[in-house]
Amino acid sequence: MTKALITGIGITTAIGQGKDSFVESLLAGKDSFGIMQRQGRQKAGLSFIGAEISNFTSSKRLDERLSRRLSFCSQLTVATLEEAWDEARLDEVAPEKIALVIGGSNLQQRELVNTTEAYTNNPLYVKPSYSISLWDTDLCGLCTEVFPIRGVAYSIGGASASGQVAVMHAVDVVESGRFDVCIAIGAMTDISYLECQALRNVGAMGSTRYAEEPPLACRPFDQHRDGFIYGEACGVVIVESIRSATSRKAKPYGKVLGTATVLAGNRNPNPDLESEIAVIDKVLDQSKLSSKNIDYVNPHGSGSIVGDTTEINAILSSDLSNAFINTTKSITGHGLSAAGAVEIIATLLQMRTGQLHPSRNLITPEVNSINWVSQQCVSHKVEIALCLSYGFSGINTALCLENGLQ
Amino acid sequence: MTEEIIWNEVRKNIAEILPSVDVNGIKSNDRLVDLGANSVDRVEIVTLTLEGLNLTIPPHELAKANNLGDLVEILLKKASL
Repeated sequence: MTKALITGIGITTAIGQGKDSFVESLLAGKDSFGIMQRQGRQKAGLSFIGAEISNFTSSKRLDERLSRRLSFCSQLTVATLEEAWDEARLDEVAPEKIALVIGGSNLQQRELVNTTEAYTNNPLYVKPSYSISLWDTDLCGLCTEVFPIRGVAYSIGGASASGQVAVMHAVDVVESGRFDVCIAIGAMTDISYLECQALRNVGAMGSTRYAEEPPLACRPFDQHRDGFIYGEACGVVIVESIRSATSRKAKPYGKVLGTATVLAGNRNPNPDLESEIAVIDKVLDQSKLSSKNIDYVNPHGSGSIVGDTTEINAILSSDLSNAFINTTKSITGHGLSAAGAVEIIATLLQMRTGQLHPSRNLITPEVNSINWVSQQCVSHKVEIALCLSYGFSGINTALCLENGLQ
Repeated sequence: MTEEIIWNEVRKNIAEILPSVDVNGIKSNDRLVDLGANSVDRVEIVTLTLEGLNLTIPPHELAKANNLGDLVEILLKKASL
């Protein structure tokens, strides 16, 4: 059984920056969807629905000189880490005992498109700093420059499961005993119109059906869904050894009981039912739990037409009938590499508040034999939660969390 | 192109990259490193300046500049060719 605690979280999404604002909006099922406006998501004749962050406040640890030249993705990372860092009081931990893993790859495609468009006619004058920001590990450099992190720092990928892969890896790092703390960041995947259109063309991204009604577009598990809807997000999870957290008297949100990955052996984006069932079996086994112990599932639930059906079948096959299920992506949109971390955070905050958030637009669920939290919040003290994430290329991951208030 | 135009471009880009510097107080024997510029800041300022003046100068020629006066002189020489 895995033994690692989560002692701090940071969150920035379109529905709120910081956990207080985030959880309030989550429980209210706040709508933040619209036609995306950010530079680099615009192209004549194209229009994409998503949840973009507005009213963002940058970290107080960044001086003006650094701040004005950082990309949006970088600013988001530092501000979100700052919240988690301060909550976990990581200034108390020796810098050499703190590790960092960034979940996600090719994080700043929108910056790439903007740079390409600005310098296509005269590449001689491309900004020298682009040679630095093009690496995902630029975020490692930035975070370790701003915060005293001197253990290891690197990035790890798993497509849309990246955020959960990062948290799972952080658990492994802490369990190895080499470091007391490993910070897992589900980094923002900052996509451009090209990624949006490619994801639409492959059949993953919606919504052409609700093109005129953005608030209705994001509807995981609903019969009228037509694909995932993007949402800007970053989530930071501080994973800490029980020994370290106990000695510092840190107050954990929860304990990671087990983690699992099952590979479908498939380069394509399509889901695989057998693998999705197998990863649930595997994480329950790792966590020494039965399916009846799970009283809340935070599913991948992207709104994908085939993906959601497959996930429902995996959940039904796994006899998770004691569990409530809602869908965080219905409110935040799909944060891609951030999603897995954002959803672990949403799970922990629901544990702490004793409330399960509604699922936006889950009006006609594909099946009724699941304990959906649909239009209204449900009061429920989650004891043990199961979080699921899936990524292109056959990546299926699962993680079990125990409520830290127990 | 006059020396004054080049100085104005250099000052503008220093202000852009190093917002805390009082660019009106800059002298020709000042060095970017002494104004607080790190290695990336320096090449950012130089690249922006080349772009603003529409000049092309290879890095090994620019490396001969020891201070801002030298830089302006190299730029002016190139602009006059």
